[in-house]
Amino acid sequence: MNEEEFIYIGTISRDYIKKEVLKNNLFLLLYAGIVSIISFYVYFLDSGFDLDLFLILILTCAVAPYVVVALISALYFSAYVRNFTYKVQKDSIVINHGVFTKTRATIPYKRIQNINITTGIFDRMFKTYTIKIETAGHSAVSSGTTRRGIGPEGYIPGLKDPHIIENKIKEIIAKISTTPSGLEENIFKPEQLAFDNFISYVLSKMREGEKLKTSIKQLREKAKLSAAKLAEKVGVPIETIHYLEEGKYNPSLLLASKIAEILNCKIEDLFELA
Amino acid sequence: MKFKTKIKTNIKLIREELKLTQQDLADRIGVSRQTIYFLEKGKYNPSLTISFKIAEVLDRPLNEIFYQEPVIKDELKEMKLKKPYKEVEDFINTQDIDHNILFQIGDIDEKELSRTFSKEFLEKVAIFLGYKFEDLFIDADI
Repeated sequence: MNEEEFIYIGTISRDYIKKEVLKNNLFLLLYAGIVSIISFYVYFLDSGFDLDLFLILILTCAVAPYVVVALISALYFSAYVRNFTYKVQKDSIVINHGVFTKTRATIPYKRIQNINITTGIFDRMFKTYTIKIETAGHSAVSSGTTRRGIGPEGYIPGLKDPHIIENKIKEIIAKISTTPSGLEENIFKPEQLAFDNFISYVLSKMREGEKLKTSIKQLREKAKLSAAKLAEKVGVPIETIHYLEEGKYNPSLLLASKIAEILNCKIEDLFELA
Repeated sequence: MKFKTKIKTNIKLIREELKLTQQDLADRIGVSRQTIYFLEKGKYNPSLTISFKIAEVLDRPLNEIFYQEPVIKDELKEMKLKKPYKEVEDFINTQDIDHNILFQIGDIDEKELSRTFSKEFLEKVAIFLGYKFEDLFIDADI
């Protein structure tokens, strides 16, 4: 498999800036609107006001704060969008974000539990989507957003087409889960095999009357193989061969047939029920 | 190169020939019925003593009851059932191989294995089947 084909680098849409500016300054906008309306109402009721003075009043009390705050947040969010990148890699997703504090969050696929695509009212106005990648166990520091204390670990806002990245992630996760995980390797490590053999030995001791008579040693010597060499060929620790030769260990059929194959004889020639 | 093998069994056939139920066989050997069930399914690698007892009860030599088969054989059968035809077709096209040869890997003589297929090719096949090379083949000539 080509490593390159996994990597997918993406940025977020600039519509995210508009959406955030609108969303964050909604109350200020409402305030500005209400103040203006009330002032006009007052102005028309009592025409003693001077028009110039009145317009300046509206400008300073309602419109100016809104414009200033909107400008600041527009600047902030455009910096945010500029700094936000995500990378879909072979084994993890990397999200770079942050305006003042730069964060680089790496989420391994193995830990991903679910992927949510959300789109709120403001999102729908600009046709953007937010992907939330949840992992086993929420972390206190969420990535992708500075405003949420606790949340999904992966947070990619302002996406125009979330299905591309979603499918990409799903595809990779499917690939990872179809290939056998490392579990089996871990169980059958040589050290653990030795432990397995020990347990089998204890168990076979417990099962009285299931004794095996064996002629491995004779046949092995006939084939001019050392115990170590035989163990190497079979792929077991040398202790296993020793136990077997002493008749202390009841091997599995697979192991017995491997030995028989290497010594070029039948299993029945090697072992016999006592 | 060698095939990784697993133990397969004819217990079911022989048992039915002798008109024994799973329970009968289990009782005579002194194991639970589940053990026989898993044995017949090939999901359990029996200990040698149990194998001997089974051979005794069924009155057959061991090698008539149990035999080894390359793991990949079953996997190719599974692939025929599970993988969509198009996926298999695509794989065959991209690897530029004869259509039949993919299905014949399991039947090839072990001595012919290294001569007929390169390790790289078998690695690709293993990955296509959702395995690692080491799960299906043994890369050694000891």
